Amino acid sequence: MPDSGIALLSFREDILLNRFQNLIRRIGWAVLTIAFVIVLNFFLFRILPGDPARAGVHDPRLKKDAVEAIRVRFGLDKPVINCFDSLNPVKFGNCGVNPLETQFFIYVRNLFIGEMGFSYHTNRPVTEILAERLWNTVLLIGAGQILSVIIGVVFGIAAAWKARTNIDYGALTVSLLVWSLPTFWLGIILLFWGSANGFPIGGKATPGMSSMPLSVRWGDIAEHMILPTITYTLVYMGEYMLIMRSSLLDVLSEDYILTAKAKGLSTFQILRDHALKNAMLPLVTVIAINLGFTVAGAIQIESVFSWPGLGLSIFEAVNRRDFPVLQGAFLLIAVAVIAANLIADLTYTYLDPRVKME
Amino acid sequence: MTELALKKNAPPASSYLLDFWRKLQKNRMGLVGLGMLLSITLAAVFAPVISPYEPSSTADVGAGDIYQPPSAEHLFGTDDAGTDIFTNFIYGSRVSLTVGFFAAFISIVVGGVLGIVAGFFGGRWENFIMRFTDIMLVIPDLPLIVVVVALTKPSLLNIIFVIGLLGWTTTARVVRSQTLAVKSRKFVLRARAIGAGRGHIIWRHVLPLVMPILVVQAVLVVSLAVLNESTLAFLGLSDPTTVSWGQMLNYAFGRGAMSTGAWWALVAPGFGIVWVVLGLTLLGQGLEQVLNPRLDTHHLMPGRPNVGKEAEVQSGATKPVLEVRNLSIDYVSQGKAPAHAIENVSFSLKEGELLGLVGESGCGKTTLMLGLLRLLPQAGQIVNGSVFFGGKNLTMLTEEEMNAVRWSGISIIFQGAMNALNPVRTVGDQIGEAIIKHMPGYPKEKIQGRITELLDLVGIAASHKDSFPHQYSGGMRQRAMIAMALACNPSVVVADEPTTALDVMVQAQILELLAELRRKLGLAVIFVTHDLGVVAEMCDRVLVMYGGVTAEYADVDTVYNDPRHPYTQELLKAFPDLTKPKKKLSSIPGYPPRLDALPPGCRFAPRCPAVFERCRTEQPAIHAIPGGAEHVASCHLVEGVK
Repeated sequence: MPDSGIALLSFREDILLNRFQNLIRRIGWAVLTIAFVIVLNFFLFRILPGDPARAGVHDPRLKKDAVEAIRVRFGLDKPVINCFDSLNPVKFGNCGVNPLETQFFIYVRNLFIGEMGFSYHTNRPVTEILAERLWNTVLLIGAGQILSVIIGVVFGIAAAWKARTNIDYGALTVSLLVWSLPTFWLGIILLFWGSANGFPIGGKATPGMSSMPLSVRWGDIAEHMILPTITYTLVYMGEYMLIMRSSLLDVLSEDYILTAKAKGLSTFQILRDHALKNAMLPLVTVIAINLGFTVAGAIQIESVFSWPGLGLSIFEAVNRRDFPVLQGAFLLIAVAVIAANLIADLTYTYLDPRVKME
Repeated sequence: MTELALKKNAPPASSYLLDFWRKLQKNRMGLVGLGMLLSITLAAVFAPVISPYEPSSTADVGAGDIYQPPSAEHLFGTDDAGTDIFTNFIYGSRVSLTVGFFAAFISIVVGGVLGIVAGFFGGRWENFIMRFTDIMLVIPDLPLIVVVVALTKPSLLNIIFVIGLLGWTTTARVVRSQTLAVKSRKFVLRARAIGAGRGHIIWRHVLPLVMPILVVQAVLVVSLAVLNESTLAFLGLSDPTTVSWGQMLNYAFGRGAMSTGAWWALVAPGFGIVWVVLGLTLLGQGLEQVLNPRLDTHHLMPGRPNVGKEAEVQSGATKPVLEVRNLSIDYVSQGKAPAHAIENVSFSLKEGELLGLVGESGCGKTTLMLGLLRLLPQAGQIVNGSVFFGGKNLTMLTEEEMNAVRWSGISIIFQGAMNALNPVRTVGDQIGEAIIKHMPGYPKEKIQGRITELLDLVGIAASHKDSFPHQYSGGMRQRAMIAMALACNPSVVVADEPTTALDVMVQAQILELLAELRRKLGLAVIFVTHDLGVVAEMCDRVLVMYGGVTAEYADVDTVYNDPRHPYTQELLKAFPDLTKPKKKLSSIPGYPPRLDALPPGCRFAPRCPAVFERCRTEQPAIHAIPGGAEHVASCHLVEGVK
């Protein structure tokens, strides 16, 4: 901390400089992490017992040349990386192979042009399938995340403010309980109840809606979203409530809250002007870290409600052994979570004037 | 991050765990969780005894047995294959618990080793491990688990290893920070200095202190593993040879339980998962509370009602600005007798007067000042007396009326302005806030000018108006606090040790500033301090407090030249005097009494050089000492002095 006027003068510049360096460093780490995921993703899908083509097509009766044709179609005839025909360490390949013709290079090159192979199941390009479904997941997670944060924060504030009263104990009990619910099970129970009470039984839209006017179609989608969103909100609000409560309790026992009280500010003013911003800051980080977990929630919710998002793609791909889709969906989810983490990180440094970059 | 309150020396490891267990026994939440967990574990162990049927047995199953509702024969009904759900439910607990415990064991061992290595050895290892942990932490774990299990084989062993090997990241982080904290403890440094091997230090000194945190973390990791396992099974990735709760749900959900309305097939397995996870969560919360006890109190909790007397009328012809009469404050805590923090303190403050409030730490000075403004912590309660300010008895006001008096009538400069300013708002903004609150008619466009003026008054350049507190030095922050205290032209300013934690030069500047402002603005100031020199130089009157009571109260000359209370005399002996350079300095042996163990008689008796029998049994009253100025002392020795 600067302790003299001279240090103070140069401080502003330091902040700008450090913010910039910080930005570069964090982006660098995010890129490195994505690179790690890309490599991991490639090798994961090659530790399959047996040939991916055979495993994918899942039919032992296929003729040898048919399998070969499939291998060529999916690029599996090429060496995995230079020197290795496969990941079997005994099977050395020809080290003179042009590295540009290895599976790994082709995989990376294809990723850059947005090419992720074809679905074993429908034979459609994976990119096309995922592009269709990404936005549905974003819609669901977005709505659920916003609602759970709002509800969690509101109850967290109430619990911390009224600490050690029945309001506090009630909110604590509810949040511990919802925290312990398996997401998919809550979804099943809600769907079971909802289908008996006039809610749509899943999917994103009622069949035959495409000819209807836009407003009707949107209303229909909203109706389909209600139950998945409630599930999502219930599952995640408990954690946000707990974090908000403990964070606000910390802030409310700080000296500057006593100062604010000595200044004659009302309880409401103190909460609004002195406590909330300070208490919300840690929440930003938690929301970011949580994104990884919320994706896990999305997989479960989408599977239960047949909501056509990335999570449902994973569910279907797992059950159909449709590895290209699984690989693509995992990569897309991982990259999205890493990017969201980066954004939250940067938001935090922007919001908190105290954050000092080393 | 969770960090243990560590003890100074390292007692044997077993006593940590014993102590831990003893505390946990008192924690209801933890015990309930433990009970839930034990019950389901017993059910899993004794599954063959409890279950009425063989697991997944399809013997004697007919078409009519599919999805039978609960009955005496089938407690939880039957599933899509006509098997008994209660039996499957009991056996299902085996898979959940096996996967949960074994996977968590792997995670905890891997995370614990990595965390201890990173924290203990530091340097390149730490860098590498923590960077890798950071990378693994952002990769969403469930999708990765699903992918890996889908690509290999969903056998029980695979599932355990995959969940275990991907769940260590948070453990590594928590353990590392705890190891770092332990590493710099004295006993570890000492062990290193006498040449103990690293292995020995880790095993004997670090591990016992990391263990409790590892236990809490383990509970959390087990619950996550159980949830992950059930999710995998629900997604269709479970060992087909064993029955598990997630698998039961997968079958029921995929094979018509929804459409046939067989709610029992959906409820029972889910209930099992919730039971285990809730039990673990409660246990984890309980352990956490034991390890990290925190008082859930804060500054916004409603205070206790004042038990002041009915509004007395202020006496005397010349009304002082502030008059405190017989103020008594207790600290009340559950299950204990109230501690009398302040008893029968009276003083008054005339316009422009500077009152010094002196006494050692723990004599109730700050409590008295917080009591004046009714800012006591939740345990504090005004049990007697009145505070007259501006013709009103402050102890009788409502909270709203009190808010109007705070800052505009009486403002306070807290000790250690380091934390007294909000770190995320600019200093100017925080000063302006007080003006907006208390001077509603103040023209908006002039507020910025007023802030500049106030900062100028305390010697802070206007350019620093929009800086944040952390950009200020300690002295500047204290000045900013003073500027803020003056913002609404109060008639009384309480300065609670405004110069502690500042270096001598800055102290002198701040004191000079306060004295000057008092002259310029005609403020009445209560100056709380240990520093008798400052009191002698600046103050008009002095209130000496000891153990929550008035020891002596008089004008500054009387106190310095004719102190009557032995405590005042001893304090002065401990203070160097430039006019008597050969004076021998002496300190008072002992400490002020603890509030929960006040001596029965005079509170100073245990340390008093002039103590006699009566002092130990009878608390002295406050006696007026005749002669010119108003002078009181609470000592049996001055009783009846003419």
